[in-house]
Amino acid sequence: MIEAMPVITTNPAAGLRIEGLSRHIGGRSLLSDLNLQVAPGECLALLGPSGCGKTTTLRLLAGLDAASAGRILLDGDDISRLSAGDRRVAMVFQSYALYPHLSVADNLALGLRIRGMGAREREERIAAVLELLQLSELRLRRPAQLSGGQRQRVALARALLRQPRLVLLDEPMSNLDAQLREELRPELRRLLCGGEQPVVYVTHDQQEAMGMADRIAVLRDGHLQQVGSARELYERPANRFVAAFLGRPAINLLPPEAGRQLGLRPEHLQPVASGGIPARLQRREWWGNQQLLWLESARGDLRLLVAADLELPEDLQLGWRPDHELWFDSHSGERLAGP
Amino acid sequence: MRSLLLLWSLAPLAWQLYTSLVTPEALVNGSGVAAGSFWTLENYRQVWLADPPIWRYLLNSAVVGGATTALTLTLAVPCAYGLQRQGGRLRWAVTLALLATAIFPTVLLFLALLQLARALGLANNLLALSLPYAALCLPLAVLLLRAAFAELPAELEDAARLEGLNLPRRLRHVLLPLLAPSLASTAILVFLFSWNEYPIALTWISRPELLTLPPAIARIAGSSLFTVPYGAFAAATVLGSLPLLLIVLIFQRSIVSGLTQGAIKG
Repeated sequence: MIEAMPVITTNPAAGLRIEGLSRHIGGRSLLSDLNLQVAPGECLALLGPSGCGKTTTLRLLAGLDAASAGRILLDGDDISRLSAGDRRVAMVFQSYALYPHLSVADNLALGLRIRGMGAREREERIAAVLELLQLSELRLRRPAQLSGGQRQRVALARALLRQPRLVLLDEPMSNLDAQLREELRPELRRLLCGGEQPVVYVTHDQQEAMGMADRIAVLRDGHLQQVGSARELYERPANRFVAAFLGRPAINLLPPEAGRQLGLRPEHLQPVASGGIPARLQRREWWGNQQLLWLESARGDLRLLVAADLELPEDLQLGWRPDHELWFDSHSGERLAGP
Repeated sequence: MRSLLLLWSLAPLAWQLYTSLVTPEALVNGSGVAAGSFWTLENYRQVWLADPPIWRYLLNSAVVGGATTALTLTLAVPCAYGLQRQGGRLRWAVTLALLATAIFPTVLLFLALLQLARALGLANNLLALSLPYAALCLPLAVLLLRAAFAELPAELEDAARLEGLNLPRRLRHVLLPLLAPSLASTAILVFLFSWNEYPIALTWISRPELLTLPPAIARIAGSSLFTVPYGAFAAATVLGSLPLLLIVLIFQRSIVSGLTQGAIKG
């Protein structure tokens, strides 16, 4: 006899669900018809150039701005009509937005006090969060007396303290130096992701998005371009914009021919003995672990990423594997299935 | 250059102080007076023991100044906030109108104000005097505070909104503490205006015990028919400047301190 398999029930309503979210000001559209889902514990990055609508989306989710159309559902509840204070949404701002006149402990306490939490419970919660973020020593300092990284951790503590149903982060690391950013990424992931609440992370830094997020949503001019894992976006970009936005050094886009355009990632080009595109070496950037070569060819300028110790002649021929080709419609920019 | 500036601004004050501390003979004759009858506190005694005494005028001025400052700030803070955060296209029109009223010569208004005081029965009432004062101070106060609100990072208020602070609480717990330096300097300007105002006080108040300092000091000059009581005049002026000096000294630190430093990235 075969026993019935246990049925795994995943509540389809759980998490964050964005339906047709739009915002227009005057005649200008900042965000058009955004549809997204973020599962509990999942970290979704909103990625795009400045002005693409990612911060607009975040402010709509937080309730700081009003949507022109659309719904926001959190665990099945429509929160679109609730005020910012009633949504139980926490947000970490780019500037951290710590209250400069209050100590670290008072910064954390203000919101809880307003909600009428007793002094004892407040103290316990704050102590726990400070401990978690290794800030206990700094509890009496003012924000001005903290380093950038410490301020960022206090802002994070304030967000976690309220046990929010949704965590929003607006470029939380863009004011930190590159090394600190790299160190903080795993810590942020450990603290925020994998819990019960969905996390939406806004950034313009693709490396940060790829390192932090489970999935990435790429936005451009208020329109969603593609959602997927970093790998999906990199290997199967929906269009030319996504292909060019993700990946550094940027993808080589060959001149369009007959309504189609070929894209080749710099690391997919290789020197071949014969039968490739003839090219001439122009410039070389040596990065230690790799080197970037700038070449001139009959098919335009090309960038080539190769091993640091590879010695190449001035004139060479370039080839690639057919399965690395990315073809785009040269008018719409949409990716085509093949050549 | 700095000492020249100091000399320029302090010399009149020093002269006033000197005048208040010497006898009338010393003032006129200078070095020709015997040492024993040169310095004196008689002038202070005179204004202090006059009827009504000078402290009565100081008190009156303080009451009017306090009421004016409180009224002005109570009205200017919400007005400045609304103008800054919600103004939209109207903001510039309102700001220009405020600027126009701020630079309007107030002397041209005092006849009309006198009519108003008569019609509404507001004469000889210290608190009522703060009404025209506050009205005249409001444009400048709103402009100053609006600029101060504009300098506060908007994200601070967003953060407070997300934590469930409604507008009155945001003002009380976040915005006003950060505006303290601007509030203090605006308050001092308003208080100063009220402390120094002469024509309206002169026309609205006629009962001697209700006079504010400026008309009261003017009365000292007119109190004697044949001499000008320079000494008493100067003593009253010195006593009238002391409270202002004190206020500025007390608030100096909060005016100068940059409290918002560190709100945004450092």
